[in-house]
Amino acid sequence: MTSLVLGEFGEEAALLEAARVLRAKGIDGVDLHSPYPLHGAEEALGLRRSTVPLVALVAGVTGAVSGYLLQWWTVGVDWPLNVGNRPPHSPPAFIPVTFELGVLFASLAIFVGLLFAYFGFPRVHHPVFEVEAFRSATIDGLWLSAAVGRTEADGVAADLRRLGARQISIVPTEEAP
Amino acid sequence: MSTTAHVPAPPGDPLESAPVLVGRPDDRALTESLLRPVLEPTRKGWAALLLLLLGGMGFWLLALYKTLFVGIGVWGNNIPVAWAFDITNFVWWIGIGHAGTLISAILLLFQQRWRTSINRFAEAMTLFAVAMAGMYPIIHLGRPWLFWWLIPYPSTNYLWPNFKSALPWDVFAISTYGTVSVLFWYIGLVPDLATLRDAAKDRTRRIVYGILSFGWRGSARHWQHWRVGYLLLAGLSTPLVVSVHTIVSFDFAISQLPGWHTTIFPPYFVAGAIFSGFAMVLTLMIPARKAFGFEQVVTLRHLDNMAKVILATGLMVAYGYVMEWFIAWYSGNANEWFAFWNRVAGPYQLVYAVQIFCNVVAPQILWVRAARTNVLVLFCVAILVNVGMWAERFVIIAVSLTRDFIPSSWANYSPTWVDWTLLFGSMATFGVLFLLFLRFIPAIPISEVKELRKELEHEDHHRAATRAAGEGA
Repeated sequence: MTSLVLGEFGEEAALLEAARVLRAKGIDGVDLHSPYPLHGAEEALGLRRSTVPLVALVAGVTGAVSGYLLQWWTVGVDWPLNVGNRPPHSPPAFIPVTFELGVLFASLAIFVGLLFAYFGFPRVHHPVFEVEAFRSATIDGLWLSAAVGRTEADGVAADLRRLGARQISIVPTEEAP
Repeated sequence: MSTTAHVPAPPGDPLESAPVLVGRPDDRALTESLLRPVLEPTRKGWAALLLLLLGGMGFWLLALYKTLFVGIGVWGNNIPVAWAFDITNFVWWIGIGHAGTLISAILLLFQQRWRTSINRFAEAMTLFAVAMAGMYPIIHLGRPWLFWWLIPYPSTNYLWPNFKSALPWDVFAISTYGTVSVLFWYIGLVPDLATLRDAAKDRTRRIVYGILSFGWRGSARHWQHWRVGYLLLAGLSTPLVVSVHTIVSFDFAISQLPGWHTTIFPPYFVAGAIFSGFAMVLTLMIPARKAFGFEQVVTLRHLDNMAKVILATGLMVAYGYVMEWFIAWYSGNANEWFAFWNRVAGPYQLVYAVQIFCNVVAPQILWVRAARTNVLVLFCVAILVNVGMWAERFVIIAVSLTRDFIPSSWANYSPTWVDWTLLFGSMATFGVLFLLFLRFIPAIPISEVKELRKELEHEDHHRAATRAAGEGA
């Protein structure tokens, strides 16, 4: 049994400081919610570098290699095609499709990876949405959420109030978010 | 100079004609003003325009029906002019699309702040322009229901696409471009759809936009990956957009026809694409910012900068024209020289005159700052450039084909009503899509404008502090 403690802050600096303090106390499930990317959030939450570039690189190389192999095998090997008496396997003519498929695979990997793997979407019923006031998180509100055990929730709520939260809610959840 | 007197320069940077964001509205006010077109009740003007354009779209569907059920004999195309309005329209539309990617991707990489408020708008233009463009080569296949033969799959015919021809390259380039544009656009849209979900008061919108935003909750852990992914998609789109129009130009450049067989085509086509695309952004943006009250976020600075891009790319296009002439003369090839002379003095000289006037002469007025910040002048220049670039595509494609190598095979081309309807009908359809976009999707990227405001505020403080320090000393 866990709880999600939500606190709304008026200032970016106070929000980031609250995240730092909670993490220093050993609470790991801290997250920030804001209508635009916050400067310094990665540092305050202790996030590691994003691995999205690696995913894009692997997918892009896979796309380019398969694009080249596709062309080489179809018109070079399976059905050798004589155009202008060039050799069936003519690399310069294969550049455009190789490039396009590299870009296509990389872009698809970024999109699908972000939404479905990194973000865990679709998830339209996240516990944060239980709090009506949380709607401001995409408009003008700066929110902190902390996933903690049910017994710790009151303590964390008190901490948030001390750290300058304007309003606080505790949402009981079944599992860790 | 007296012409610049009415444009007040903001304190700080004398080179900036106007701020990129008027005032410093708070997040809630920004959200409300930018979502107003989506959340307010339907306006009469919008509905009337939609109805009008739906009428135009009806004609377009009629022309498509005629083409599909009778065949492409209903067009004015002949042999030797096998490519005419269809491919002209294709190249014109795809070129227009390129400005959207340039604004959203290339200007993002160059950290040009003025792109922020217009990128969503320009990218929507890209999507709809690519949709319009993609249709022409497909209906030009003659048997469009077999278009999937272009895709390599192990068929019982034992045939593969010819990967040494520019046309299959086109298939991959256009479909990749369309897909990547949709992905890039949508990933940028997710946070704003969530804003829309949270700002909406009625249940239907909350559900629909809730589903469309996948459950975005503005998490810092998500923003971190989102930013990296968004930047990477921009980085991928940048060479992509250059490759797409390069490949489109290969359709012509790697053939042997005088007037087509030119090495300058790739850069010259890309410059022309950006030129026409920026003109189309202005054509759409000038009325839209007025109608929906976007003047606060799409300022004269944006218009001024877009006008400068039009001027610069217009000069590149003009250089392309001059260089084509020079090479035709310098090559000493009689066929080549004749093809160019035929453009000026042949049966289509009027189209050529329109091309030169609209693309080379008209944009020169943009050297004057007063013209760049006058919406009426800008709108007229933008319309002229749209017309001029269509004329250019027609001159390159159809006029070159009317006079090929053997005089006995020469033939002129004249469009039929179906050709005209497919052209103007596609504009109406594009307009319908655009109106729907303006009504149902936040046209200005809200989260990015908030971030921009944050940065600008930071700079305001910094500037004030420096000034105070300077006065103190």
